[in-house]
Amino acid sequence: MARTYRALAALLSYPTEAMRAAVPEIAAALEAEAMLSEASRTALAALLRDFAAQDIYALQERYVDLFDRGRAVSLHLFEHVHGESRDRGQAMADLIGLYAQHGLEMAPGELPDFLPLFLEFLSLLPEAEAQALLAEPAAILRALAGRLAARDAGYAAVMEAVATLARAPATGASAIPDEDPDDLAALDAAWEEAAVRFGPGEALDGCGTDRLRTRLRAATRDAAAA
Amino acid sequence: MSHFLDRLTFFRKQVDTFADGHGVVTNEPRAWEDGYRKRWQHDKVVRSTHGVNCTGSCSWKIYVKGGIVTWETQQTDYPRTRPDLPNHEPRGCARGASYSWYLYSANRVKHPMVRGRLLKLWREARAIRTPVAAWASIVEDAEKRASYTKKRGLGGFVRAGWDEVNEIIAAANAYTARTYGPDRVIGFSPIPAMSMVSYAAGSRYLSLLGGVCMSFYDWYCDLPPASPMTWGEQTDVPESADWYNAGYLMLWGSNVPQTRTPDAHFYTEVRYKGTKSVVVSPDYAEATKFADLWLHPKQGTDAALALAMGHVMLREFYLDRTVPYFDDYARRYTDMPMLVRLVRQGDRYVAERLLRADDFVDGMGEANNPAWKTVAFDAAGNPVVPNGSIGFRWGEQGKWNLEARESGGADVTLALTLAGHGPTARVAFPYFGGAATNGFTATEHPDVLVRNIPVRNLQLRDGEALVTTVFDLLCGNYGLDRGFGGGHVAHSYDTDEPFTPAWAERVTGVPRHQIIHVAREFASNAEKTKGRSMVILGAGLNHWYHMDMAYRGIINLLVFCGCIGQSGGGWAHYVGQEKLRPQTGWAPIAFALDWSRPPRQQNSTSFFYAHTDQWRYETLGVSEILSPTAPEGDWSGALIDYNVRAERMGWLPSAPQLRQNPLTIAARARAAGMEPKDYVAQAVQSGELELSCQDPDDPANWPRNMFVWRSNLLGSSGKGHEYFLKHLLGTSHGVLGKDLGEEGHETPREVRWHDKAPEGKLDLLVTLDFRMSTTCVYSDIVLPTATWYEKNDLNTSDMHPFIHPLSAAVDPAWEARSDWEIYKGIARSFSEVAPEVLGKETDVVLTPIQHDTAGELAQPYEVQDWKTGAVPPIPGRTMPAVSVVERDYPALYERFTSVGPLLEKLGNGGKGIGWDTRHEVEFLRALNGTAPNGQPRLDADLDAIEAILSLAPETNGEVAVKAWEALGRFTGRDHAHLALPKEDEKIRYRDVQAQPRKIISSPTWSGLESEKVCYNAGYTNVHELIPWRTLTGRQQLYQDHLWMRGFGESLVTWRPPVDTKAVAPVQGRHGNGNTEIVLNFITPHQKWGIHSTYSDNLLMLTLNRGGPVIWMSEDDAQRAGIADNDWVEAYNANGALVARAVVSQRVNPGMVMMYHAQEKIVNMPGSEVTGQRGGIHNSVTRAVLKPTHMIGGYAHQSYGFNYYGTVGANRDEFIVIRRMNKVDWLEDTAAKEIV
Repeated sequence: MARTYRALAALLSYPTEAMRAAVPEIAAALEAEAMLSEASRTALAALLRDFAAQDIYALQERYVDLFDRGRAVSLHLFEHVHGESRDRGQAMADLIGLYAQHGLEMAPGELPDFLPLFLEFLSLLPEAEAQALLAEPAAILRALAGRLAARDAGYAAVMEAVATLARAPATGASAIPDEDPDDLAALDAAWEEAAVRFGPGEALDGCGTDRLRTRLRAATRDAAAA
Repeated sequence: MSHFLDRLTFFRKQVDTFADGHGVVTNEPRAWEDGYRKRWQHDKVVRSTHGVNCTGSCSWKIYVKGGIVTWETQQTDYPRTRPDLPNHEPRGCARGASYSWYLYSANRVKHPMVRGRLLKLWREARAIRTPVAAWASIVEDAEKRASYTKKRGLGGFVRAGWDEVNEIIAAANAYTARTYGPDRVIGFSPIPAMSMVSYAAGSRYLSLLGGVCMSFYDWYCDLPPASPMTWGEQTDVPESADWYNAGYLMLWGSNVPQTRTPDAHFYTEVRYKGTKSVVVSPDYAEATKFADLWLHPKQGTDAALALAMGHVMLREFYLDRTVPYFDDYARRYTDMPMLVRLVRQGDRYVAERLLRADDFVDGMGEANNPAWKTVAFDAAGNPVVPNGSIGFRWGEQGKWNLEARESGGADVTLALTLAGHGPTARVAFPYFGGAATNGFTATEHPDVLVRNIPVRNLQLRDGEALVTTVFDLLCGNYGLDRGFGGGHVAHSYDTDEPFTPAWAERVTGVPRHQIIHVAREFASNAEKTKGRSMVILGAGLNHWYHMDMAYRGIINLLVFCGCIGQSGGGWAHYVGQEKLRPQTGWAPIAFALDWSRPPRQQNSTSFFYAHTDQWRYETLGVSEILSPTAPEGDWSGALIDYNVRAERMGWLPSAPQLRQNPLTIAARARAAGMEPKDYVAQAVQSGELELSCQDPDDPANWPRNMFVWRSNLLGSSGKGHEYFLKHLLGTSHGVLGKDLGEEGHETPREVRWHDKAPEGKLDLLVTLDFRMSTTCVYSDIVLPTATWYEKNDLNTSDMHPFIHPLSAAVDPAWEARSDWEIYKGIARSFSEVAPEVLGKETDVVLTPIQHDTAGELAQPYEVQDWKTGAVPPIPGRTMPAVSVVERDYPALYERFTSVGPLLEKLGNGGKGIGWDTRHEVEFLRALNGTAPNGQPRLDADLDAIEAILSLAPETNGEVAVKAWEALGRFTGRDHAHLALPKEDEKIRYRDVQAQPRKIISSPTWSGLESEKVCYNAGYTNVHELIPWRTLTGRQQLYQDHLWMRGFGESLVTWRPPVDTKAVAPVQGRHGNGNTEIVLNFITPHQKWGIHSTYSDNLLMLTLNRGGPVIWMSEDDAQRAGIADNDWVEAYNANGALVARAVVSQRVNPGMVMMYHAQEKIVNMPGSEVTGQRGGIHNSVTRAVLKPTHMIGGYAHQSYGFNYYGTVGANRDEFIVIRRMNKVDWLEDTAAKEIV
């Protein structure tokens, strides 16, 4: 039942005056639980300072420019796993099912794979369970942190913190293949969908290993090239 | 080998085989099957479709689970067809299927968004002011206004709540209506057929406000003006199933498998029946695989090809022998027997106007409209007035029909030719093919071809006059030697005279034997089958400046062969969903005709030409396109001058209309003690009132607020994209050329010139969309709309006769709302805000002379411009009509949400006929319930849908019967039998959700929906003898309006592409060291976008190069040192674009293709030339107007919304292309801008 998740969820949500007013509360929660490392909390402090100091319109423009447009750093996790494939709907339906199992009903207005929503969900779970669930999209979180680093250091720190909580391997590890955007064969391979086979080892619910691997490969392409 | 060791001794595998070893029984875990089980587990299946602008209108099953759309499949429950006709299925394509996940895409617009700077200014102002005052304080302060307008396209959005954005928009609209006039509030939305309720939401709001709805069909250049010219019909075509009835098919510039995917199967199937297929396409397009014979003329020379085919047909099927079917068809259904006056011009004659009854001393006994009744000779050579010309349509009843009778009631066979009866005269025909630019072939023939034509002398009211028939003129025009002597005619196909096959071979590159062969076969098949030869015509041809020549050339072939109006024959021009089947039910809802009439409607091409200041850069002089045979008179001025003349003469609409606020005109009239109509007429002449078109750059005449919905105006259809950015929006742009003033060229004479052009005319640009399109990026407010699975709506197509629903399978995601709910919300806010400055107001509305009204008989002979003093300004006759409309602004919301009283008072109708509709309104009262004002409710989208379906003859059999009866009063014939069997059929929304429903035949359309024939345009003209809505009442091949004659297009001819001169100003001036070459720029439709999804669709992008591409030939690529997939830049005076090059054998040398509507928002680096991000396909185009499209007040050449008007041609453009050295993604700049 960690408030750190909720604090991170807030930081990744659209900045509002209410949230700005809650900056001390967010900072305090992070300090109190100390789930994040000292370094991580220091990195987050910069964004918190921005929240406190900057014009709200500038903060909101920054958020919209970063997250409301385009796929590269979308906060909807399945954007990176399923893209626009037909597996996405089932995956979302499954996730809604998971929330329902915990007695939670989503308020209208967001999709189930929205990262702040997911973090809020985790904040309601026992830590071990939360940790296990957060580990599932670890590779994506790490890739998002990498992509954000090239775009916005402040938000990169938040994502880095989430990725670290997810125990994702550190950036620079071989987990992220070094792709050459002009290597067309490699790009084709990254985008190629696995042929549909009927039988064990292949399922169309989006969790088949081959398909998931294909999607993850696409999702973890080099941040700079994305 | 005994396989001893292969056998197990102690274990037994759980394996068995069956089917002779082809199948294996295993006992493995079956968990993998759960994936499939889950897919088929759903809460509901909902029927919907995709509404980009797809003629497919395919039925899809949308699967919903837990409030999430999980996937979609094609529906396969279309009603069966009759025996020997394939069924409609399968319908749907990969593009449509890829849509299913668009609604959760990262590119979706999720929340209402406002430019941050604007919102900040608004909140500051609103904190201390009322809404309208707050808006005034922002836009009246130049610095504040510029602080957000100059940032358009550069990011900076923040989210806002619905109530807040609605109030901003309402305040802006109210301020604009009060300060400048409601006609400064503009709305652009295309293609109502794709989601007609969503369209109607915005247009209803605008129409109640007095705002302006903009046309799309002409602006998209999909409107073929040849159609209204020939048939008085916007466009009407056979459904795709009718391809299956054809015996001979030509696919001319259309790419059926790629752009009409769900219909292509009919084409495939009919070939199994033995139908021959000829494909005409300059490039090796996908459709060429259908071809038994592929003809590939040089791009832009299709008219020459068609002319040569017509030459062969006339020679072999009209002159060398008489084909009874063709001969009969030509006499009854075409203007070929009609008489044309010849007038002397120098030492020869030129064809003038069609002879009218009024030309005779006694008016041929015609008391009603004798000036609008055309004349022919009967078999005995006596002049007669045949039934059916437009003079019979208005002011009398019973003789507007195509029965073979003359006005007196006697049976008559009209004479086709005067040959053999008397003298001939030397008649001049213009020839434009002697001069061509940019590598198009010029031939050595003179610019005037004098040919001998048989004539007769008639005694007329104003003396003796020579006359001839349209048929005789046609034969001369096609260069056929009929033994009359003289020059420029040929008897041999090998003679190089216009328009022989030998001549066409030079111009088009198509071998003459192929031209002869195809023409002969096409006509021969039509002769044997009574017209079952068909041309499927792609609108690519229509995008050339002289599109009318190609289209009329092809239409003539079909008319010569009696194919129009016959099953399996005719003209199949498909361009997206131009066909709004329940149009007459929809129009009163869409334009609020239930509350006030007339609405304000504007032709977009002229509007954008003026207000994006593209006219300031015009390079095409009128003298370049004027005919050498133009009648004496003043033909001076620039293209915009012609448009201004057309506007003030009431030919074309104007928006804004007057420099003065139209809400103030009635008071001025009262003060002057005059009726508004009379006051306006007098005041425009005195100068007290000034037409806005005369000074589009004066701030008083700027459009101020603009709505864009269901459209990507800036990203796909905005010809002259960079001019939009520069002048209309006032933001950073890539215009490279200089305007006429800077160049020191002559400036227009009817339009006031400002040395400094305005930049940023719009105060507010609002876009409704569900994806962050290029247009959204440039907007001030972006509103998230529901997608096609999140709203209730209707969708129709010309490709099949069914009416489809869009259904709300799920609630709109995030904060999105349906277009209906959005405009309803704005209407509510407006009613709250309006009382600050607006109450009940009297609006004076100017409308052009409308087609299909009695007013279309405005000016029968000469062009009369009141400005020259030749005639007085008479509203509705020599100037726009003037109407007074009472508006109740505080009650706008109440009116929006209820059906107004005018339907019961005035009835409903369309295309010139009207009927009582009280019964339907009463039905709606019962069905929808009543609003607080006692009128039928129109609160939800479903209410609007039921209103449309109840009011339209196509979906309400009772109305269809009334409509046919109404038409019968005009024609004097019984047509009600066409609908009586379906009188009790009333299609409701839940019916079309349950299964596609075939619509009911109605006189709104020229074909029939029946169990016996497929829908085919012109069918009721031929089989029910209903006249075409033209001057002659027949298919009109001769266009006799003065401007048609002035510009040399009375008859079809060959006109090479115009020279836009856009390359010279930039060539060699932006060198980067790489070779520059010049190519013709063509923008066809693509495989991965148009029309069923958008080009930012990730799945589709991954199927091609993932971003913008242009296609070029290997030869040109080699010349320019460009390798496949290189980044290249294309530019001219209009701007620049970047793309990757696809080097392909598909493309012929000399042209480059850039698929239409590739967006600036995906994988688009910066341009080396402009320093701006990319550019889109329209960055290198500029609209160029054609005066003949401005003609009005003249029967079929009268204005109608999306029916006639200037069109946005763009194919004649050339660009410089060269390899890029540096691909700059402008990431740093973007980062800086954000900080």
